[in-house]
Amino acid sequence: MEKEYAITVHNLTKTYGRKRGIINLTMEVEKGDIFGFLGPNGAGKSTTIRSLLGLIKFQQGNASILGMEVKKHHDRILKKIGYMPSEAMFYPSMKVKDVIQFAADMRNMDCKQEASMLCERLLVDTEKRIEELSLGNRKKVSIVCAMQHKPELFIFDEPTSGLDPLMQAEFFKLIIEYNKQGTTCFLSSHVLSEIKKYCKHAAIIREGKLIRSDTVENLTKTNAKRIHMIKDGVEENMVYRGNLNELFASFAGHDIEDIVIEEPELDEIFMHYYEEEQV
Amino acid sequence: MTLYVHEMKMNLKSLLTWVLCVGGLCFGCILLYTSLEDSIQEMADAYSNMGAMSVALGMDKMSLATLTGFYATEIAMMHGLGGAMFAAILGTGMLSKEEAFHTSEFLNVLPVSRQSILLQKYAALVSNILVFNLLCTLMYILGFIMMKEEISGKEMLLYHFAQLIMQIEIGTICFMLSACVKKNLMGAGLGIAIFMFAADMMCRILPAIEDVKYITPFYYSNAADIFTNGEIDAIMLGIGVGIITVSFMAAWFRYRNKDLAV
Repeated sequence: MEKEYAITVHNLTKTYGRKRGIINLTMEVEKGDIFGFLGPNGAGKSTTIRSLLGLIKFQQGNASILGMEVKKHHDRILKKIGYMPSEAMFYPSMKVKDVIQFAADMRNMDCKQEASMLCERLLVDTEKRIEELSLGNRKKVSIVCAMQHKPELFIFDEPTSGLDPLMQAEFFKLIIEYNKQGTTCFLSSHVLSEIKKYCKHAAIIREGKLIRSDTVENLTKTNAKRIHMIKDGVEENMVYRGNLNELFASFAGHDIEDIVIEEPELDEIFMHYYEEEQV
Repeated sequence: MTLYVHEMKMNLKSLLTWVLCVGGLCFGCILLYTSLEDSIQEMADAYSNMGAMSVALGMDKMSLATLTGFYATEIAMMHGLGGAMFAAILGTGMLSKEEAFHTSEFLNVLPVSRQSILLQKYAALVSNILVFNLLCTLMYILGFIMMKEEISGKEMLLYHFAQLIMQIEIGTICFMLSACVKKNLMGAGLGIAIFMFAADMMCRILPAIEDVKYITPFYYSNAADIFTNGEIDAIMLGIGVGIITVSFMAAWFRYRNKDLAV
């Protein structure tokens, strides 16, 4: 059966004058997937998302969302998307319930039932004014606005920053529930454990270029080992990515007092992708 | 339509404040006219003999000795400048506030085209100016009625129509500015309004810069000219409408193609 894609991006290039944005970015997100989008600060994650959403105009390449070309069908695409930006900003003087209603009205939809369920599960106080809310509470309002119309595709830009652990868990529970109903989720995040726990596929971007796109399982497979040892009376900590026999051979003539070899932390595995070119 | 209603609601307090300040001040001045009646003839003579200043303020054409003359010179100046400042502040913030206050990432991912956002916001701008003028004019008419003075209906209508176009022109120029920048340039908007006001006074005094009258909307909306001639200068008004059209088109093309700051 031929694969269906929620997002396809081919050779997408966006520059800001002389500054780099993204360069020849190509990737695909299958329908029904929970897809992680990883990269260090300034790598081009938000530029990619904003280009897809039409907030900024890319110079080269093409992109399609749910089979529709981004530049041609901007409004139709936005009807089927729920987007949550990294900075959840709304009109400060408005009440939460009015912001949620405004977002629904702009879609010409009655989302009261879904919005009410989401507010209840995320513990959103709808009577408060936006200016009274913390970042975490604004994020919750943003989640409601992104989910209330039951879109076909979620695009989340660092969604969990500012949310407490309970709300993070509830948020992912909601994603999994919507995903089971067929909603695709494209998730940009710095939190590697989130990507490993919830995503099926992920792409890694660095300096505007795609480094790798694969299943999370393949991305986290590594022959690297974290090694703690006391060698010649000096304590050493390192991530070793070579042949262990060669490592042991290099110990000849040294006094190894203690050695612990273990699997590296998730951060250390991904750091390898982030830093590859500099090594 | 949703965004239009939203904008109208968001600007309601500001609109009422400006109506109360500008309209209320002018209304109060109309009511105060009786207390000036004893000395008004002397004042009228003095003001009409102030040379260039009298020309700039239109007192060479209208006399302060009547309420209509007082209205076409003193009141009109306050209303014109206040209205222009209101339109300028509203226009400069209309589009750029979304980027300045980081709400563009919320608004512009809702399924509405940028063209529709621009049209609804422009409609809200024009509606605000319209309501401002309507309420202020009603207050002035009420003032005339309370003073038991006859109103020159045609001139009054023409003057307030010209004021409406003038404010829409300033509002549209500032709206264009708003489409081009990512910050709320309220100061620049006020600067445009005050410069236009000053340019009108200057070009009436100095023959060397007479051509400035073609760029300032205060020229065709001058109350003393309209109340004296009983008409609006059609060519000047036409230029004003042209400037509105060009400014709106520039805003349209710029806003459609710009990268939004988030």
